[in-house]
Amino acid sequence: MKCSICGREAATDLCRYHAEAKERVRDAYPLWVKAYGSIEWKDFLDNVKRNPQTGQWAKEIAELLEG
Amino acid sequence: MNAGYTLVICEKPDVARSVSDALSGGEYHRELVEGTTVFRFSRKDEEFVVCAAQGHVYGISDPTAERTVYPVFDIEWYPSNLVDERSTGAERRISAVRKLAAGASRFVNACDFDVEGETIGYNLLRYACGGKEEIALRATFSTLTEEDLVRAFDSLKPQMGLELARAGRIRHAIDFVWGVNLSRALSQSALGSGHRYRTVSIGRVQGPTLGFLAERELEIREFVPVPHWKVSGTFERGGERLMAGYSKERIETKMMAEKVRRECVGKVAVATALRRNAVQVGPPAPFNIGDLQKEAYRAFGYTPSRTLQIAERLYLSALISYPRTGSQRLPPSIKYRSIIQGLDRISEYSAYTAELLNKERKPVQGAKSDAAHPAIHPTGEKPRRPLQTSEADVFDLVVRRFLAAFGPPARRELTEATLAVGGHEFRLAGGRTVFLGWMKYYGKYAGYRDARVPLISEGDKFNVAGVTLEEKSEQRPPRYNQSSLLEKMEKEGIGTKATRAEIISTLVGRGYVSGESMEVTDLGLSVVETMTKYAPTVISTELTREIEGRLEAIEGGRGSEAELLRETVRSIAGQLAQLNVNEDVVGREIDSALTATVAKSFVLGKCPVCKTGNLKIIRSRATKKRFVGCSNYSNGCHASAPLPQKGTIRTASRPCALCSWPVVYVAGGRRPWRLCVNPNCPEKDGP
Repeated sequence: MKCSICGREAATDLCRYHAEAKERVRDAYPLWVKAYGSIEWKDFLDNVKRNPQTGQWAKEIAELLEG
Repeated sequence: MNAGYTLVICEKPDVARSVSDALSGGEYHRELVEGTTVFRFSRKDEEFVVCAAQGHVYGISDPTAERTVYPVFDIEWYPSNLVDERSTGAERRISAVRKLAAGASRFVNACDFDVEGETIGYNLLRYACGGKEEIALRATFSTLTEEDLVRAFDSLKPQMGLELARAGRIRHAIDFVWGVNLSRALSQSALGSGHRYRTVSIGRVQGPTLGFLAERELEIREFVPVPHWKVSGTFERGGERLMAGYSKERIETKMMAEKVRRECVGKVAVATALRRNAVQVGPPAPFNIGDLQKEAYRAFGYTPSRTLQIAERLYLSALISYPRTGSQRLPPSIKYRSIIQGLDRISEYSAYTAELLNKERKPVQGAKSDAAHPAIHPTGEKPRRPLQTSEADVFDLVVRRFLAAFGPPARRELTEATLAVGGHEFRLAGGRTVFLGWMKYYGKYAGYRDARVPLISEGDKFNVAGVTLEEKSEQRPPRYNQSSLLEKMEKEGIGTKATRAEIISTLVGRGYVSGESMEVTDLGLSVVETMTKYAPTVISTELTREIEGRLEAIEGGRGSEAELLRETVRSIAGQLAQLNVNEDVVGREIDSALTATVAKSFVLGKCPVCKTGNLKIIRSRATKKRFVGCSNYSNGCHASAPLPQKGTIRTASRPCALCSWPVVYVAGGRRPWRLCVNPNCPEKDGP
């Protein structure tokens, strides 16, 4: 199976790097909710995607999750 | 009475000339032997012939010398021209030494006094001179000044440095066995997967170093920043305004930050807890090579390998001492006063040297020592030729660091004040240098800035004119740069002072790391991933560090070389077996990363026309010429641009500020030139 983002060998639809990045994005959401008081999942993904500090794989995951 | 002459073997031709010049007072004859220059002269009724290697003229290889065969554990020293086709001069130099050895009655090894130099001299004495390595005398010097060279040859030492040579030879053997076998295993795996042959190398120190970079790269690429807030206040007192930061640098929630603002704005703050501290700042330790490389990177942006090259040129010009040293100590034997007197003749330093000559000061000493050479210091010689800018930079840095070592501690006054309001605290902090001390000598490199704090007394009152909330983003971990990577290698105890810079360059050269930013490529990540899975020892810091420790013990005359080599072979054989069993999967992974890395190297950046494709370097099938085209061509984007047909192209980190097209650097001539690839860029219209 190939990673749906980068085409690397993968056990599921994501390679281990993108799977790890997905975990990181998910883990960050409650921290963003706490920081702002509230933030919609879609707004969070949009912010993560546009933030210049976000890592390349995390950005790709945010784009994927945004659909 | 000696029937023949004394044959002196130096490491480099420039050193051979300096030695001959110093020992003969410039009265030497230059001859060509087997096409290489040698120097002949008489000194104290004795005839001398001085010749030179050109770095290593012997190298390790396996008898098959076939890059597809592995494992290879049957290894031997061969003339370098048989090991590496680029080593073209080795054959001539070996022939010359062999011919000269036939007429010599006494042999002197005058190669650089360190592991590599000792190995070079030992091999020539052993193989080209017919087993003279044990009876040769040793000349040791740390500078190429006449005084130092004459002293070295007036006090030649027997049986010196043999342990260094043994350690050097075993280091080469271990690195060969390690690097060649694993690299061949990886390259063969990739070849088996259908990729054309390309060396995929991994060395004993290269592996863990790439491991550090990959670990950081993963952290960066997976990083998700979390927002936080920075709060600062503006305070007023009778027309005077000052800014102070909130005592907690980072506030986790917007709600909390707003609460601070609400509770402070419009209120009166009171100055409490005013502290003024006078601190002494001692001079930095004298330079060893690692410190010089880090400081030159900080001050001028020179890579560690470039700094080493520059320092070696300055050493060969007798301007600074031998640079490949681990020592941070300046022993009295280097004659401080005479060096300072020498520097007094250089106008840039005469104001400082005059001060130092009036006082008998001892230099500060660092913690690290090196039995072979002192810390890097100027010789006191004035440059006899105009120095290139980079040479002048490094020379200035070395001179000023040396002078700074003699300077008294600087004194700085640090001030901190707290402004309390509504249960919150804001801090003001500043510092200023009240006595320059050594900083005067170190000049612009000292790096301390003054930040003034206004005169405040405890109990002073201020109106809070405003509180600013600034939303901040957590910063992702920084990538290593060449300097911080060198520091990491030193801290982890891997590599040597002489090899670290070269290992970093190899990682870039192999395509594992790209550009200034030291970003790990897909290939680099794949090599680390493969090794972690199938040959973890290869990227283990522990084993490499242990081997370094045992090599250092051998340098000190302790430990067995044979035992160390046996254990290394055993360890490598186990790792190779694992790689071999998994050759197919290893091959597929490396092959796919190779393909991705090569493909990426052709991408210049996002297409500013269609905004979705990438502009890439494409080679025309019809004309064979290269040009820029968009990856979205088949979807209708016809953005394209011509490219220079000669030279290597490297993408700049940022697109053109005027038109957003990619900017490239084209290398091929003396220095790379910058080019915005857009033929219609407004930049091309000129000012």
